[in-house]
Order: sequence, then structure tokens, then C-alpha cells
Amino acid sequence: MNKLHFKVGLFAVASLLLAGAFVVYLLHARGFFEDTFHLQLAAASADGVAAGVPVVFSGIEIGRVTTLGLNEEGGIVIRAEFMGRNAKWLRENSTFTLDKPIVGGAKIRVDSPDLDAPALPDDATVLLLTADISKELPVLVERVKAVLDNVEYLTRKDGEINATLANVKTVTGRMTGEYGMLESILGSPEKARAVTDSLDKTRALIGKLDGLAVKVDGMAGKTDQWLFAPDGVAEQTRESLAQIRLMLNDAQSSLKKADALMTNAVEISADVKEGTQDIAALRAEIDDAVSKANALVNKINKMWPFARDPEVKLP
Amino acid sequence: MAAIAVLPEDVARVALDLPLRANLSALENIALIPLYQRHYNAAESARQAQAMLDQLGHAGIALLRDPDMTPAQRFVTKLARALILKRPRLVIDRPGAMLYDVPYPAFIGQLAARAEMTGTWEIYDFSWNQVLYNQALDSE
Amino acid sequence: MNFLATSIESLGAKVTGWFTVGYGMFAFLATAGLLLLDRTTWNRATFDVVVKQVYFTAVQILHVFMGYVLVISWLIITIILSTARDFGLTAFASEMTIRVLVLELLPFLTALLIALRSGSAINTEVALMQVNNELDALAHCKVPPMQFEFLPRLIGGVVSVVTLAGLAGLLALLMGYLTIYGVSTAGFEPYTQTIAKIFDFTIMAGLIVKCALFGLAVTLIPVTAGLETPKKLFMVPVSVLRGMMRVFFAIVTIEVVSLALKYI
Repeated sequence: MNKLHFKVGLFAVASLLLAGAFVVYLLHARGFFEDTFHLQLAAASADGVAAGVPVVFSGIEIGRVTTLGLNEEGGIVIRAEFMGRNAKWLRENSTFTLDKPIVGGAKIRVDSPDLDAPALPDDATVLLLTADISKELPVLVERVKAVLDNVEYLTRKDGEINATLANVKTVTGRMTGEYGMLESILGSPEKARAVTDSLDKTRALIGKLDGLAVKVDGMAGKTDQWLFAPDGVAEQTRESLAQIRLMLNDAQSSLKKADALMTNAVEISADVKEGTQDIAALRAEIDDAVSKANALVNKINKMWPFARDPEVKLP
Repeated sequence: MAAIAVLPEDVARVALDLPLRANLSALENIALIPLYQRHYNAAESARQAQAMLDQLGHAGIALLRDPDMTPAQRFVTKLARALILKRPRLVIDRPGAMLYDVPYPAFIGQLAARAEMTGTWEIYDFSWNQVLYNQALDSE
Repeated sequence: MNFLATSIESLGAKVTGWFTVGYGMFAFLATAGLLLLDRTTWNRATFDVVVKQVYFTAVQILHVFMGYVLVISWLIITIILSTARDFGLTAFASEMTIRVLVLELLPFLTALLIALRSGSAINTEVALMQVNNELDALAHCKVPPMQFEFLPRLIGGVVSVVTLAGLAGLLALLMGYLTIYGVSTAGFEPYTQTIAKIFDFTIMAGLIVKCALFGLAVTLIPVTAGLETPKKLFMVPVSVLRGMMRVFFAIVTIEVVSLALKYI
């Protein structure tokens, strides 16, 4: 008997058996030997859903989205495929929720509170809910509030904005020799009011920013009149005033938007059950407003050479 | 030398510059020819090769590889390989270079007597070795 | 000016050299492929040589190789798992492990090992055959060396790399399961799901094709590099050096192309 041939033969047989076993296992895993089970999920928005998004039950993947498209009425129809052995987890009273975590891909979560309920038929159409709004909304409101606090902190009476405006005044005044010129404008900056609810706070802040913006505008115009030669320090002053104006506009608009959104949000939370509101869009807009306000806070802090505490408290 | 390089295709050569395949045994070296030229199966090729070695009186070297052979054994294997080609002419090129440990004209003579080949063996050698062949012929 | 002309000329010589090498390799491959289609190739003798090649390339080192795979996979799996835990991404750990180990790292390491062990041996042997006139002797006997010297080596290389990489992958899958879920059947369902998700038809076919190309690269390139050797004994080390360099570049190129096709 040839020992070499025996060894190679053993190797070949073992490898082929293992490979065959793996192929059978793989076919089993991919559901080749089973029927597939289909569901149609109707959703208000397909945001974050794509072919391949997993459907999970108790954290374990039981199926995945195959296609998505629109029906005749413009509604979203998501088709999902399940293996036959997983169909038992899908019951008449199962809820399907679209989960979009901050880290990781979107997934569709199945909750079946009663596994004794009648099973869902093949090709049934079920409603796809978006993640629970009543849990998420307070978090969003808190984030907006935190940003608004920051903006307010910067615009408080003895804050950096006012200090700088005062500084601008000094500079301009030194150039033109008119001390009292700007004093009337800056003499009575609005004081930060203590506000109890976030809506009032926003509105107050918007009003305040509005007022400041008008004042800055006025100051720019007057500086213009009072300067004969538009160069040197005066030119720089005018530029920084223009920048402040732009930033204030920006803050104003994003805060106004946040205000509107929060008003909406309250209404929405009142009728979550209707499920008609586009929560994803709302969230995107609030996030946008928050990030704009954040950017503003950062910009102001960067521009202000007097800012002693560069740290901005972000949510 | 120049004459040998331009030998026609129908000549089988035994020469120093045509070595055996080093990691094959003598038998395998010879069996390559029936196996890959005439497409006999492996067993039949081995049988033919063994028969050729038997005929030359060196059956015992079948399993030796090139590095384990004496110059004479190596020469026999090369000769067997050339014979199994069954070409009309056989040229032994400077046998002195390959058979440095035996009185080679006599050795080749013995092999030729055993081989019972039709056709002729031609030996190319240096002219100063002529005397060796004369001695070998005289002694017979 | 003269310098410029010289450098352009040397560049041209290099490009021509690469082209010649590449052409030689593909011509050789084409010859081998045509021979595979020839009915007379498929005889007992060729089969015996192939068996011998598979023995020397794969079976002889199997235990060493498996031990080495065991250590490497255990290490990589543990690293991925603990990192995933630190970042709270445990859900992705098993998929990550399988992708990194089974699809990329183990086939690559297998190819490297076979290249170092068998590729260099093949290169040296062919170079010595060339230098010792053994190939001329075979040509004189009108026995083409392709059938019993080169083709079996190519087949043996492909078979060995595909099989070894497959066995290594299976071992790594087992190790991954044991490391993540321990000795219990509890994780069987989720692990099966992950495997089913990763190994679709294209991935499996791609993996096999990649391993086959690896196997071809680690044998074909040394053979052609050996055949190029000038008939001087001191050129043998140079030939092995060049051959191994080309093998390395070929392996890296195959890996990069496969990654690009998979993820871009």
C-alpha cells in the first residue's frame, strides 16, 4: 500500500466531506430547503429603508427587505421576505417598527406580544410604524433648549456680544470724536428675561436678536455717515458689524424655525396615534435648526476676542 | 563537436550534456518515453523500461536516482533511454567523459553485445583515444 | 539631454521586460490550459504526479498549517470581539470576524505560506533543471516536460491553496463560534443567520476564484521565472529572487482587486 497515496486520499476525502457539509449547511442557512414567507409593509415614509434592511425579532434577524416601491396612491410599499421557519413569530397582533439607531443601519423591529394569536397569512399587508415619538420628542426639546440657553448666555446684558458692541463703539468714537453718538443705541440693551417654558424662551430670544440686529444695522449706517475716509479701523469695524448682522439673521431664522417646530411638536405629540405626521422630517428639521444654532454659537465665540470662556455647552 | 550539434532528428544521443531528470528514478526516466510519446499506460511503460534495463544487465538500478548512481550505472540508464527511443541511429558522444571509472571501450562493447539491437551504434570520441578502442578489440 | 534620453530608454527597457514576462506567463498558461483539454493528458501517470504534488504542497504541512490558523484566528477573533465590546458593537462582531478572517486574511496567508514553501522550491527546481540541461535532454527525447513537470505543479498549487484556505476558513468559523458563544448550541441560530447573510453565491464564487488565482500565482510564476534562468549556476538565486518578488506582487494585486470588486 502506498502511504503517500493513502494520506492524500484521506486528505481529499476529508476536505470534500467538509466542503459538502458546509455547502449543505449554507443552503440550509439561506433557506434553500424551505418556503419563503412574504409580507408587505405599508409605511408613510421609506426614509432609511432599503433592500437588505433586516427584520429582527428579539434582536435576532428573521428576514429582510427585498424591494420597495410606490403604490397607485403614492403610498410606500415595502416587501419583506422571511424563511418559512421564522413565520411563526409573525402574528396578527405583531407590530412592525422602523428603528434607526444613531450608530448602525436601520432595521425593522417585530414585536409579538401574544404568540398564541392567529398567524399572519402569507403576503399580508401590515403597517410599518416609525419609532415611538412620545419617547423621542422630549429629548429633542431638551436639545433645542440647551442650544437656546447657550445663545442666550452669549447675548446676555454683560455678555460678549454687548461687550463687543461697546468696544466697537469705543473704536468708532475714538476715530470720529463723537462719544455720545452710539450711546443711545446701546444704552438700554434688553435684559434677558427669565422664562419658564421653552416656547416663551425662544420667542423672547428671537425678539431680542431682532432688536439687536436692527441696532447693529443702524450703527453700521451711522458709522458710514460719520466716516469720511472708508479705510483703516473704520473699514474693519463696518465689516465686523456686517458680519454680526448676518449671524444674527441666521440665528433668528433658525430659532424661529425651532419655535415653529416646537409648536408643531406639541400638537404632534397630542395626536401621535394618528400616525399621519412625518416624524423623520420633523426630526431632521429640528436637528438642522439645532446644528445651525450650534454653528452660530461657535462662530460668535471664535470671533469674540474677549470671550474668556471659550467652552460652549453643547447637548 | 560541431558535427554532433547538427545531427538529424532521427539520431538518439547519449551524451554528457543530456543528463537524466534528477528527481526521477532510472526506471521513471526511461519510462517517460513510452508513457508520454507513445501514450502507453503507466504500468506498461514501466514494464518496457524494466525490460530494457534487464536486457542491458542492470536490472538492479531501476529505483536509483541520478545522484546515487555510479558513472557506469548512469551511462547505462542514459543508454537505455536512448535505446527505447527506437531511432535508426545511436550516437555515443565522447563516452570517456561519462565513463571515467571503467575501461569504457570494452564496457560499451559488452553492452552492445547484450542489446541485440538492429542498427549501428556510432561512437564519437577524441582521436587520441583511438588506441583504447584498438586494445579492446585486440583483447577479444 | 543625454540623461533624459538614457532614463527614457531604461524605462522603455523595463516596460518591454514586464511585457515579455507577462506575455511569457500567459502564453505558458495558455499552453497548460490547452493541454488540460487534451484527452491524453488525463492518464494515470499525470494523476500520480498531481497526487504527489498535492501531498508535498498541502498534506505534508497540514498539521503545522492548522496549528498556525488556530493561533491566528483565535487572536484576531479575540481582538475584534473585545474591541467590539468596548464600542458596544457586539452585534457586528461575528460578521466582522467572518469577513476579516474567512474572506480575506486566511486565503491571503495561505497563499503566502504556499508561496514561501512550495513556490520557492518550484522556482529553484525549475531553474536547476534549466541550468543542468535536463530540459534539453527531455527535448531531445521529444518528451514535453509540461505534462509531467509543470502542469501537475499548477494543478497541485490550485488544489492545495483552495483546500487549505477552505479548511482554514472552516476552522476559523468554528473558532469564531466557540469564542463568541462558548460550548453551547445557544448561538447556533444567530450565527447561522450571520453566515447566511455573508455567504451568498457571488461571495462564495469570488472566494473560490480568488483562492484558485492565488494557487495559480504561487506556482505559475515560479515555473516561468525558473524557465527564464540563463544557463549559469550563479543565476539560480537571482531567478528565485525575481520569481518570489513577482509572486508577492501578484498575490497583493489579486487581493487588492478582489477587495475593490467586493466593496467599491
